[in-house]
Amino acid sequence: MRKIIKNSYLLISVFMLLILAACGNDTTTTDGNDSEAEKTDGPVSAKIGVISYLTGPGAAYGEAITNGFNLALEEINEKGEVKIELDIQDSAGKQEQALSVAQKLMSSDDIVAILGPTLSTEMNVVGPEADMNGIPIMGTSTTAAGIPQIGEYVFRNSLPESLAIPAALEKAVEKFDAKSVAILYGNDDLFTKSGFDTMKAVAEDMGLDIVTIETFQKGQSDYNALLTKIKDLNPDLILASALYNEGAVIMDQARKMGIEVPFIGGNGFNSPQVIEIAGPASEGLIVATPWFGDKEDPKVQEFVGKYEAKYGKKPDQFAAQAYDALYIMAEGLKNAGEADRDALRDALAEIKDLDGVLGKFSFDEEGDVVMDPTVLVIKDGKFQLFE
Amino acid sequence: MLGELLNPYHLQIVSFVLINIILGISIYITLSSGQLSLGNAGFMGIGAYTSALLTINFEVPIILGIILGALVAGIFGILIGIPALRLSGVYLAIATLGFGEVMRVIFVNWESVTQGAIGLSGVPHLGREVFKTLTAIGFDPEILGLKNNQFIYLIVVSILLLINIFIVWFFVRQNKSRVGRAFAAIKMDEKAAESMGIDITYYKVLSFTQGALLAGFAGALYAHVMAYISPADFAYHRAIEILIFSVFGGSEVIWGAIFGAAFMTIMPEALRFISEYRYMIYGAILILMMAFRPQGIIDVSLLQWFKKIIKFRKGTDHGTGIKKRH
Repeated sequence: MRKIIKNSYLLISVFMLLILAACGNDTTTTDGNDSEAEKTDGPVSAKIGVISYLTGPGAAYGEAITNGFNLALEEINEKGEVKIELDIQDSAGKQEQALSVAQKLMSSDDIVAILGPTLSTEMNVVGPEADMNGIPIMGTSTTAAGIPQIGEYVFRNSLPESLAIPAALEKAVEKFDAKSVAILYGNDDLFTKSGFDTMKAVAEDMGLDIVTIETFQKGQSDYNALLTKIKDLNPDLILASALYNEGAVIMDQARKMGIEVPFIGGNGFNSPQVIEIAGPASEGLIVATPWFGDKEDPKVQEFVGKYEAKYGKKPDQFAAQAYDALYIMAEGLKNAGEADRDALRDALAEIKDLDGVLGKFSFDEEGDVVMDPTVLVIKDGKFQLFE
Repeated sequence: MLGELLNPYHLQIVSFVLINIILGISIYITLSSGQLSLGNAGFMGIGAYTSALLTINFEVPIILGIILGALVAGIFGILIGIPALRLSGVYLAIATLGFGEVMRVIFVNWESVTQGAIGLSGVPHLGREVFKTLTAIGFDPEILGLKNNQFIYLIVVSILLLINIFIVWFFVRQNKSRVGRAFAAIKMDEKAAESMGIDITYYKVLSFTQGALLAGFAGALYAHVMAYISPADFAYHRAIEILIFSVFGGSEVIWGAIFGAAFMTIMPEALRFISEYRYMIYGAILILMMAFRPQGIIDVSLLQWFKKIIKFRKGTDHGTGIKKRH
């Protein structure tokens, strides 16, 4: 037996040596690339790592995001002001994998920045590591509170709930002259819980009367108990921090029960899928979003047209945010003038009023988003501007 | 030299492999006494949250936090083990799976302490804390030609490696002892074991608790390696993943769990070059495995075969007597 133990340790150590030896090769090759990149004159050429959720239950997000990146990449390289190369990696929505692959990207010297990861939970793990290693990282879909505050190398261009929800709520309260609200939220998801915290704070700030706070779980299918309670209390508005799959079912059941007041949702509720699932019951859902595909802006229409021609479907907000994110990176690289991580960070932090498909975009001093969201309402079976 | 050899990416994967090996062993221990427990994700969560909360709120040293995390998980193991072990087979599996879900729901709903679904961020990082103390006493990783982050992950991997070697040594020894033989007897036939005078309740609770303790220990390490935990990390997916480590590698011997954990952690990373298709291969391997080798990759006969080869070689050495002539 002792021999087996000895042999196994030998095996383990040989195996580890192999791993370590493998990375020796890696570093030498990247060194080679690095010196080559420096030699070439002309436009700044840089390699950007992308961490995206490409396999697993949330793969649809990752697909939209990488589509957005690839479309922007083609256009940017065609213009030729900067040359960008993307290294797209999958995280499968798991923190461990996101962290591993972030290490992989960070340890290769020619990667100057990272775009992604997709989920806020992943960003919570990857962000501090990127900040410590001094590589700029920008989330394109991480809307939870506290993300850019992780460190000075951490940015995002996705509209946080703390901007979206107040915008929607203010407009709705003004229009319907609402006094009382009921809040419901999914309490087992980072995204919806974070949205609820914002909703509650905003409602309290505005002096609204919160008649009740109800919770539900992911995948729940029967909401009659909490909706009955809400119906009895008769609020003027219902604030629902839900993802579209649960949110659409909630609206459907509420309308069937005879609750006719408008719903206000967060970013996760903002999906054309709501209309598909809930049908006419989805009328009256108000959301604030950075992205409105029917906007009469030539830039937006051009993007929608190109995206549809290439991928055969309309872009959603994730694709639009990714598309803009790569433009922000390109602008940063252009201003930095060299493919250097620190120079890029400083250039990114100074970006102001950059025109994108989402509107004018700036970073605040923490690396968070400054922009005016659009408030939309579902009316006659589609999203329309809410006025 | 050393600096070029150590890539943080590989060190990171090795540290996950080492944590998963502890998880694999935790389920192997309960399986070795013939019990199928799916509550290990719950115990892992208890260990992780205990250690994270203690280190964040009370500034307990990480080492103490990890040990307390493991102990609390172990205590829960005893508390759950005693009533649950009246059940066996699939009934025990369902009951422990239920326990795991209850723990997750507690983490989600006890918001004042666990911050609910938002999760706990800012958990002290094992490597970074050791690094801080080392630099405080004037140690500079430059001496070894290492960058800061290489050095930090080297610390993590070395600590985990030592822990792993100790755990494997301990359980290999235990398997050869009275306790290990009692576990094996209970696994073969509970009634026969009882009639031979083995206190089956005691040994069953013991193996269940050892599994819980190890899972809690791994959970606490996980919290301090990731520096962020949320209830979703300890859902039933995790329980199934842990079970796969042991079943895939072979649940009869401890080396099976170790091999399974290492293989299942490295494979998705090694298959990165085929991007979207890698999880298809993962699934295909599992199906083929269960079809052609249901007992797992490594089993007793494979180990004996290895042993024989080693012995055979040594035997011929002695037989020719070459050494004597020289």
